[in-house]
Amino acid sequence: MRHWMFSCKKITAMVSESMDRKLPLSRRMGIRFHLMMCSLCRRYQQQLLFIRSVLQRNMEADEISGQTLPDDARKRIEQKLTDELPKD
Amino acid sequence: MAVETKQENNPINWLDQYGDALFRFARVRVRDSFAAEDLVQETLLAAYRSHEGFSGQSTVKTWLTGIMKHKIMDYYRKLKPEHSDESIDDFTYSLDNLFNEHEKWKVKPGDWGGDPQNVYEGKELMAAIDGCLADLPEKMSLAFTLREKGGVTTGEISELLQTGKGNCWVILYRARMLLRRCLEVNWFGKKK
Repeated sequence: MRHWMFSCKKITAMVSESMDRKLPLSRRMGIRFHLMMCSLCRRYQQQLLFIRSVLQRNMEADEISGQTLPDDARKRIEQKLTDELPKD
Repeated sequence: MAVETKQENNPINWLDQYGDALFRFARVRVRDSFAAEDLVQETLLAAYRSHEGFSGQSTVKTWLTGIMKHKIMDYYRKLKPEHSDESIDDFTYSLDNLFNEHEKWKVKPGDWGGDPQNVYEGKELMAAIDGCLADLPEKMSLAFTLREKGGVTTGEISELLQTGKGNCWVILYRARMLLRRCLEVNWFGKKK
């Protein structure tokens, strides 16, 4: 059971890592166990997730996902590519 | 030499078909729109110059995206030749200070209250986040921005920054810790 006991400092690193990859089961259990008893680490996790959601909402609002190559850039690139093509 | 038909090798066709997708791919990975436009151009030129490299095993889009990834890595190499880890280690001290000798919270996370109430506040909060990110070491804010604003995987970030995945997780951890603390002091601390 002892390997389940992680310090707050260790948990903060594990919580962050869990946002970047799927952690092994033992670590996920370790986080869950710790968060059940530690309101500060729980708050820390909520705040990291809050920051992530703010950034994602902002991304969606920016509509980067719907952006297209601007027309002037498209023309410029087309010209550049045309210059490369063999003339025959 | 070239076995594909002229039509398939025409970079103008690639621009028509994949220009927008390539632009979006670049746009979330670099800071400004102009850099993303340049990357589209460089990618298509490189693709055309090396079209015998296209094996036909992947789709043209996958092939072009692969070339673009290399161009983005070049972009980062040129942008900051002296990406150093030292500046990142400098911040270890301030992180250690958040915990006591038993590794329990010393500087306790404060109560942030609920969500931003409206768009205006959301925008102000974004500005606060960007301000805090600007104070972090370049590599740290870059990794964080790619991950949280671009949704880029740590695998790809480790390629871009030429560092191991393990190091990426550490960099992202420190970025989140410092950003969280910075927001607490500079945004949530001042709101009350």
